[in-house]
Amino acid sequence: MWPLTGPFVPGFFIDSLNLIFIIMAALLWFAVSLYSYRYMKVEGRSRGFNIASLLTLVAVMGVFLARNLLTMLLFFELMTISSYFWVIHRRDKEAIRAGYFYLFFSIIGGLFLVLGIVFMGAATDVLPAIGSGAVTPLNARAFNWSMVFFLIGFGIKAGMVPLHLWLPHAHSAAPAPASGLLSGLLIKVGAYGLIRLGEFAGWGMGAGVNLKFLGVILLITGILSMLLGVVAALLQSDAKRLLAYHSVSQMGYIILGLGISLYLGAEGVLGLLGAIYHVLNHALFKAALFLGVGIIYVYRKETDLYKLGGLWRQYPVTAILMFFAVLGITGAPGLNGYASKTLLHHAVSFLSDKGGLWAVWLEWLFSLVGVGTTASFSKLYYLMFLAKPAEEDGIERLVNKKFVTERKLSGMQAAMVLLVISMVLLGLFPQFFLYKMAVPAAETLGLSAETALAGFSFWTFSDLAGIFITLALGVLVCFAGLKSGAFHWQPPQWLTLEGLGNLAFGELSLFWGEALEFYHFACRGIADTGKNLAGSLVRALRRFEEPGSLTAGKSTFTGISADLFLVFMVLAILLILFTLTRPELLDLSILANLSGN
Amino acid sequence: MTSLILALMSALVGVLLIVLIPGENKKLRNSIVFLSVLLALVFSWRTGLLVFAGKSIGLKVELGRFVWSLRPDPLGVVFGLIASTLWLFTGVYSFGYMDNKEKQGSYYVFFLLALCVTLGVAFAGNLVTLYLFYEFLSFATYPLVIHERSPEAMKSGKKYILYSLSGAGLLLVAIVLTHHLAGNLAFGAGPILEGLSGPGLNWLLLLFALGFGVKAAVMPLHHWLPSAMVAPTPVSALLHAVAVVYSGAYGIVRVVYSVFGRELAGELVFSKIFLYVIVFTILAGIIVAIRQDHLKRRLAYQTISHLSYILLGAFTLTPWGLAGAVFHMISYSTLKITLFFCAGIISELTGKSSISKMKGIGRGLPGTMVLFATGTLGMIGILPLNTFWGKYYLMKGSVAGGMWPLALVLIISGILNGVCFIPFIIKAFSGEKNQPAGKTGKRGYREYALFIPPLVLTIAAISMGLLPGMVWPAVQAVVDWFF
Repeated sequence: MWPLTGPFVPGFFIDSLNLIFIIMAALLWFAVSLYSYRYMKVEGRSRGFNIASLLTLVAVMGVFLARNLLTMLLFFELMTISSYFWVIHRRDKEAIRAGYFYLFFSIIGGLFLVLGIVFMGAATDVLPAIGSGAVTPLNARAFNWSMVFFLIGFGIKAGMVPLHLWLPHAHSAAPAPASGLLSGLLIKVGAYGLIRLGEFAGWGMGAGVNLKFLGVILLITGILSMLLGVVAALLQSDAKRLLAYHSVSQMGYIILGLGISLYLGAEGVLGLLGAIYHVLNHALFKAALFLGVGIIYVYRKETDLYKLGGLWRQYPVTAILMFFAVLGITGAPGLNGYASKTLLHHAVSFLSDKGGLWAVWLEWLFSLVGVGTTASFSKLYYLMFLAKPAEEDGIERLVNKKFVTERKLSGMQAAMVLLVISMVLLGLFPQFFLYKMAVPAAETLGLSAETALAGFSFWTFSDLAGIFITLALGVLVCFAGLKSGAFHWQPPQWLTLEGLGNLAFGELSLFWGEALEFYHFACRGIADTGKNLAGSLVRALRRFEEPGSLTAGKSTFTGISADLFLVFMVLAILLILFTLTRPELLDLSILANLSGN
Repeated sequence: MTSLILALMSALVGVLLIVLIPGENKKLRNSIVFLSVLLALVFSWRTGLLVFAGKSIGLKVELGRFVWSLRPDPLGVVFGLIASTLWLFTGVYSFGYMDNKEKQGSYYVFFLLALCVTLGVAFAGNLVTLYLFYEFLSFATYPLVIHERSPEAMKSGKKYILYSLSGAGLLLVAIVLTHHLAGNLAFGAGPILEGLSGPGLNWLLLLFALGFGVKAAVMPLHHWLPSAMVAPTPVSALLHAVAVVYSGAYGIVRVVYSVFGRELAGELVFSKIFLYVIVFTILAGIIVAIRQDHLKRRLAYQTISHLSYILLGAFTLTPWGLAGAVFHMISYSTLKITLFFCAGIISELTGKSSISKMKGIGRGLPGTMVLFATGTLGMIGILPLNTFWGKYYLMKGSVAGGMWPLALVLIISGILNGVCFIPFIIKAFSGEKNQPAGKTGKRGYREYALFIPPLVLTIAAISMGLLPGMVWPAVQAVVDWFF
């Protein structure tokens, strides 16, 4: 018997990098399952949610632990399908629309991964195993293209800027625990893929292939994601959409860090460390934020910020937990966001020391995004918990009187407590994660962190001062924005990517309509011509069948159609001419031979 | 050799028994059909295993100058095994589908006859035998197309037979020319036209491509396929998604590798021009499919697009491309027949055949629509389904042959396949519940006969996708045979 696996040998492995990812996944899934029992009672359809959730856990673990690219692809596709059921969980119009976005972007991402694998196969003899270090390609061009296709495939999953369109829709349409996992973990699959891509590329300098362009692409898309995400988030009024746009922005930090590593190679290891650290941190605080908003949704059936307000009196526990989460994402010292943002900030400063003027601009933009993040989360927290309620009769409007205050705590708050405790621990002892987990991971990826981390400390005066200035500026911007109403600004359609897409799609469908009309016109034309031709042929044939009489001069041949006579004449003349041009056809000696025998 | 003869004969014996036994005994007839298809399946598998084991089996009858020969090689065996395996599933499905229809006797007679002829096409050992069976396949399936005898069916039948016969006519010219040039027509170790070259062979390739291209539904010659969808669904499923159209695709692969040989085919300009036609068919077929409202017609246009995948693999002239073509031939047939079976279940149980009226149908027929959704994912080329591997090797072959835009074409076609069916599936599961008409949810013999074949095929497709080694040796054997 033959081996049943054939060309496809599934395999799994573990190293210091995917260890971080699976620990993160397990922790987050545990917290969310703790949370979702209570939450899904309100949302309904908890059976479907649980099935989708467990399947997605399998898929995510499979992607992180896969040894070869095809195994990874298998679990990647499984993840697409199972998490799709999260997005359409509510089955309303908005959810179905978000589901279309999600499904099509994910499928296209998966197909690009296939393309990447195919080109990788053309570039090397045997597909390289994941985690086996830099690839030495036989065909450099195919290898470069394969890197680009992987970049697009994983970039879609990671919400990299021109490819992020699905993310805000999908993450805000899903129920809160699913949003937490989508933002906390599923987009990290994209980040994981990008890190492995860097490993294949040997961090831009492996195997004599020049892959600096990858670093530049990641730098640019990273900073664009950060900026666009934060600007869009500032303008949102729905809490979940605000958080979803912040996922784009925070993924930008991770992509930027990877870009620095790919651009500078071994010198840019700080970027990689920051990116790995930020992956974990973002997972924790973004999940906590989504879960917090979900608790408010359970109590108030509302996620519109302008309809909420003053909730800290009624739900103090949630308010305090949310405060920690907000501090985490804004990068306040003592919480985990500070650690990774400091690492990334150091990486960007290092780049601007080495690079030209544009890198200095990069540093400015980096700080600006910090200010924007603070501003949008001050807005979220202020409008939700501190500001006066927009509607005085808000409480009467409630669906369930039981939820007027936070009398009974449940698994929902427990899950948040778990996440906040991990955040605080990671924030107070940042060295632990950095030296025990991130540095070994960087070393297995082929980068040494010793020189870059020499003399590095998290708690220097300039870093602390910088972050406090950022926080203060952010609060100021938030205040100004709320007073002036700038947060209600609606950007014109041509300015947003989605609007541009809509416009382009409109034009395209118009063009398509025109093209179709032309096609039908042409078809009808051809069919008409064909029918006319056929008609005249049929008429001519009919005349053959109705024998008339042929009159030539004085003599009349009865029963011979004139047309038939003409046709025969023409055929005979053609035959004679043909024979005359081919004298060898007139050579009849072959017949003589035959008769001789 | 006995199993080779028995594989062809068992279906014929079934035909004779059905014709000779008087009276209308449904149970007896169904058992005869089932048994003869099962026997054909068993014997063709025996033949196949012998061929894969490297044995040379064949049957040769010389009638004067005319040599009638059956000599299966790995490619033919793959086609034959696909056909006979799927015939069994379609037979079971037909027991359910035709249960309340008229003229069942004639249906089953031609159903079995078509199996015999298809196996003949697959196992043919020279061009003349291939031609005869190929031609006869049109006649054997014509009564199935016009089974309903409605004016529309008669019109489609006329179209079908005219297209097929004119293709076969061109084929005959091509075969005569081949014999004139090479002096023999037998498929052997090397290609028939080995050692010849010259620009004139382009025209020969064109004749062959037109002749087989009619049944393979290459784009300007495809018109008969969508209109043949008036046939009963099992016929559309088996003949117009798998057996008949595959005989065309199989013929073209055969011509490229056994008649011309890959070196000669690589030199000819027309094989490169033909690639453009194939690409056009792949994209245009699926784009036209998006605009169809009739479910079976939409599936038919999708078939047109996917048949060209096989031709694309053959014309890349690389081992990977051929492997992709063979793999796609195997895997695509399992899923496409499932899609057609599902369409048949929907139209049988709810009486609806146009997509715009199928909103909410998935809530009345959840199992069927889940199978349909799985099939659609397969058409896109998502990994747990076996079609992924076909597509993967096709892409590998195109890149290895230096034709990387073809890989992009396959990706775009995958996305378009998604656009074509995903909205339909999502709409089927949302909205009002669309209950099967007049049914109280009770399942009988008929429902099981309708539902089990697609279910088993889907499970087979998934396991083939997870364990591609199940069919890999067959693919390997074909590639080794020609390279």
